[in-house]
Amino acid sequence: MNAQTPQVIVVEDEPQIRRFVCAALRKENCNTLEAATAQAALEAAANGEADLVILDLGLPDRDGIAFIRDLRTWSQVPVLILSARVTEQDKIAALDAGADDYLVKPFGVGELLARTRALLRRRGQLGETGAIRRFGAAGAEIEVDLARRRVRRDGVEVHLTQTEYQLLTAMLANEGKVMTHRHLMREVWGAGSMGQPHTLRVYVGRLRQKLEANAAQPQHFLTETGVGYRFQS
Amino acid sequence: MRLIPPPLSPRRRYLSATALCLVTTLATLPMSGHFDLANIVMLFLLTVFACAVYLGRGPAVWAAFLAVALFDFFFVPPQLTFAVADAQYLVTFAVMLVVGLIASQLAARLAERTEEAQRREAETRLLYELARDLGGALAVDQVAAITGDFLRRLEAKASLLVVETDAGGVDFRCHGGHSLGTLEQSFARSAYERRAVVEADSLAGMGVATVFLPLLAPTQCRGVLAVTPHTDDADVVRAWRPLLEAVASLVAIAIERLHYAEAAQRGEVEIVAERLRASILSSLSHDLRTPLTSLVGLADTLAQRQPPLPQDAVEVVGIIHDQAQAMYRMLSNLLEMARLQAGGVTLNREWQPFEEIVGSSTRLLAPMLTRHAVEVDLSPDLPLVQFDAVLLERVVCNLLENAAKYSPAGSRIRLSACVRDADLEVVVANAGPGFPPDRLDSVFAPFVRGEREPAVAGTGLGLAICKAIVEAHGGTIAAENRTGEPGACVRFTLPLGAPPTVDIEAAE
Repeated sequence: MNAQTPQVIVVEDEPQIRRFVCAALRKENCNTLEAATAQAALEAAANGEADLVILDLGLPDRDGIAFIRDLRTWSQVPVLILSARVTEQDKIAALDAGADDYLVKPFGVGELLARTRALLRRRGQLGETGAIRRFGAAGAEIEVDLARRRVRRDGVEVHLTQTEYQLLTAMLANEGKVMTHRHLMREVWGAGSMGQPHTLRVYVGRLRQKLEANAAQPQHFLTETGVGYRFQS
Repeated sequence: MRLIPPPLSPRRRYLSATALCLVTTLATLPMSGHFDLANIVMLFLLTVFACAVYLGRGPAVWAAFLAVALFDFFFVPPQLTFAVADAQYLVTFAVMLVVGLIASQLAARLAERTEEAQRREAETRLLYELARDLGGALAVDQVAAITGDFLRRLEAKASLLVVETDAGGVDFRCHGGHSLGTLEQSFARSAYERRAVVEADSLAGMGVATVFLPLLAPTQCRGVLAVTPHTDDADVVRAWRPLLEAVASLVAIAIERLHYAEAAQRGEVEIVAERLRASILSSLSHDLRTPLTSLVGLADTLAQRQPPLPQDAVEVVGIIHDQAQAMYRMLSNLLEMARLQAGGVTLNREWQPFEEIVGSSTRLLAPMLTRHAVEVDLSPDLPLVQFDAVLLERVVCNLLENAAKYSPAGSRIRLSACVRDADLEVVVANAGPGFPPDRLDSVFAPFVRGEREPAVAGTGLGLAICKAIVEAHGGTIAAENRTGEPGACVRFTLPLGAPPTVDIEAAE
């Protein structure tokens, strides 16, 4: 990838939406490639070195979810979904197919850029994240030492159980991405486990108690209602 | 029973037997003298036999005696008297009589069997035709008409009582025939409840139904067939029983078939309607979101333009942005209400901590809550509660949004949750002017708003949606004004139920 000017493919059939999304991205110092159809988008992705695909699920020529599945067979480029669909099943289907995040229309430019930055940063960090991760502000400054399996809050060591620690590392590894309940349960309890969604929720609650300044209004371990969770530092 | 052509009346049969004997006598008279008397006896026996076969047992016996008398009178010397010269003819008479009687017995029994077989065959054919006709019936009224036609041949009327079960109990609906009186209704009810034929002989001849047959279909009793015979002869009616029972079972099957056909059709119509409604809502939602997305996004683009717009233009752009967002929220509420009111919403209930909803709602609503201090007070160790997270998030968001809209900037909004009895109780309160006291109950009705002349934009759907969602979860919701201090407060509950256990590993 090009560290200075990331390449973003914007796949959206509505010209007005495409217009402001591209304008916002260009101001973020991104190169944009516009596509109005899935076919054009696949060609663009195959030719250039895309760093991010922003995809409208309701394309005229093809189902967006099938497009993601196709793309995922040969590319790991992050995919941000723009969706006018509202049901949680649609979001889960898109995430399970390989999308990384979604924005429900209508969305503001601020939100769009925040998600874009998170996904681009993730791509930049792939394989080169350090052993020590830090997040949080005063009152709940967290430092996770992945090499020593040690977690500190404001310099004081926090004790995490085995499962809590696994959940924490799974979420750290997928920073900026929405993880569905199923995905997280697979990461923490293994593919064949009989993990229950409510067990996962209880563990997320315990992590928040230990690592958030205010567990009822979390800043890092965020709930994506009906879909899953997202970690943001 | 008039299933086969009616036989001659008894009187006419005896007359016919007499006539046959007289004809035989007249025919054989000229032969007298030329033929041996033994041969003439044969002709008389033949006549008796013919009477037995065609006219039945009684006329045959009568013919046997008459034949002996006529033979004696006209042929046995001395002729034209009943005197008998030669005693040996007494033997002839005796044998003639016995043979005639035996032959008549045998022949008559054969004839009866034949008639019985024909009657059964006719019955079977008619039942088959009835079954065929019922098979083509498309409505219960048609079934009643076909059954009525059938019973008309028996000189009876049919009333079909079809059971309609509702929450209140069993109700009969009458098809065809006359509408039944109270007494008949009670007989019918008794037949239905006992699942057995009820015969009301005491009512015979009064023009009312006397036989009540339960319609026993394979899965359940579908009603009662009430038969009103024209005859008042209870024996005749009793003889119909097997046939009537067969008719009742055919009718029962026909009604059951109609019932399932109707259920299947109704199910299909509902599926189509549901699909149509879902597709209308989703395309409405899609088509309205697209221009709103452009509006919000383009307003943002303008606001962040370089070089910046003049201050007043930035303000206008901000208003455009906020109004588009407000319009989107109204649209969401409208679509949500349409979905909830259509009754097609299935809850996706899962056990989860209520805390998650608090976190996601306050984050979603953060742009609207910037001018208020939100105080969250959740009692520690709240149990898991079973609810649909997306819908409950909508409830909490609507309540927080209302609390913010109807209270002055800088005031405090309180969101608290605790366990009360067997419920989770959630309270959202603000420090605004409160609800008008006379409208506390009506604020949950759709399109009703707290103030008569609202100064705040809104559709009046927010609380109606909250109520629909909370009630779908089996909870309650109430609006009140805070006591002691100004402010409105909405309180809702969710039943706790029995949460699943969670295996939390022991701390290592």
